Amino acid sequence: MKILNKKFDCIGKSELRIIAKELSAKIKQGYIIELIGGLGTGKTFFVKCICEYFKIKNVSSPSFNIFNQYNGKLNVFHFDFYRIKNKEELFNTGFYEHLSDDDAVKFIEWPNLIPEAIPVVNYRIYLDYCKEHKLKRNINIVCPE
Amino acid sequence: MIVLGIESSCDETSVAIITESQIKANLISSQDFHIEYGGVVPELSSRAHIQIITQLVRDTLKKSKLKLEDINLVCATAGPGLIGAVMVGYNFGKALAYSRQIPFIPVDHIEGHIFSGFLNEEKPQFPFLSLVVSGGHTLLLIVKSDLEIIKLGSTKDDAAGEAFDKIAKMLGLGYPGGPKIQEYAAKGNPDRFKFPIARLKNKYDFSFSGLKTAVYRFLTKNYSDIKLISNSDLSDIAASVQKSIVSALIEKVRLALKEHNIRALSLVGGVASNLNLRENLKEIAKNYEKQIVIPDFKLCSDNAAMIAYRGYKLYLNGKTFPLEYSCYPSLRSEMFV
Repeated sequence: MKILNKKFDCIGKSELRIIAKELSAKIKQGYIIELIGGLGTGKTFFVKCICEYFKIKNVSSPSFNIFNQYNGKLNVFHFDFYRIKNKEELFNTGFYEHLSDDDAVKFIEWPNLIPEAIPVVNYRIYLDYCKEHKLKRNINIVCPE
Repeated sequence: MIVLGIESSCDETSVAIITESQIKANLISSQDFHIEYGGVVPELSSRAHIQIITQLVRDTLKKSKLKLEDINLVCATAGPGLIGAVMVGYNFGKALAYSRQIPFIPVDHIEGHIFSGFLNEEKPQFPFLSLVVSGGHTLLLIVKSDLEIIKLGSTKDDAAGEAFDKIAKMLGLGYPGGPKIQEYAAKGNPDRFKFPIARLKNKYDFSFSGLKTAVYRFLTKNYSDIKLISNSDLSDIAASVQKSIVSALIEKVRLALKEHNIRALSLVGGVASNLNLRENLKEIAKNYEKQIVIPDFKLCSDNAAMIAYRGYKLYLNGKTFPLEYSCYPSLRSEMFV
């Protein structure tokens, strides 16, 4: 199934899980993956779905802690810029030391709040509410070249 | 024994000195530091902690009328938290203990919260049910002794405090969200709107992500712009949201009290400052004839007194840690038996 650079509109949780599985097979050590979407659009949920395929079960929202770390088949850093005010503050949290860890997969929620903070990204995942159905979402996984 | 505690796991830097369970001083950067130094804006950085910590230790000694030579034990938060921030207080504490040739105890921040009720005049009796609610954590635990903690449930997505903050932001109420929602909720009707309460496979687990989505949906459906929501509607929404969060928490507490042999109930963490939650839990404790212990407001937020106390108890239980023991960012599953 082609999942990259393709927009899926109004899909439910089970379809999101299938997309997460497809994507998890493509993710390699060191990858940087951004998740962009408003409050409650399912960014953390999608990270949780992907991480299940890495045998990681304890994914939760990093908004308050700024980042979570999980160990499974792959090591994962799960960042969240929600509470970060600017690039300098981000730098002072030690973010870049973790970002340069080539052994771990890095997920970043709310990257759009600190533009240009991340030099190179492997995948950028856009999530949005589906207007017609309250439990469904639009998803678009972009692979910037 | 005189114990110095250091906490720097998140926004706050805090230093405290206690003897047994008596607090001599418990200084918290945002509350106590700005007065003298013209304002410290909480900053999520290790640099902010570095700038404050030395002076905060000096001030704590001064307030306790003690000298550095009087300290017998140093305890510092080892995690979980923002690792760069944790490291500042942790390494400061370790170096301080090493230079004075006195013992150093790493303390888990969550364990600090769990046992913070013992800094109250009335101490919880074992086994007690502990509800830990903060911006980063939501846990329901049974604490059987100083060293036995059993996890009943935790949040599967957002923490309770995070739900308050994010929903407050959606409503345009500002930061910090918890106090703002509480303020509006006090004037509102909690039964006007029905927001969902998640029920999960493990009946003691929590989930607040769906509530966040439900509120978003509700707002976009009913209002074209959040700025146009009337104050009375805002109050009713805030009250209904608060009811949903508090109900989710107390529902699990009630269930645990029914199913487990528990003598007391303890509410800790930043969200323990929420008056509605406090009142509801007091009511439940009364109905079930259990002792209830909720620390003072200052001891609910992140503070070093709870770290000092927990470290002191670990020390009394004969726990020792090698100097290489390092700090950590995430919740330790080994914490639970």
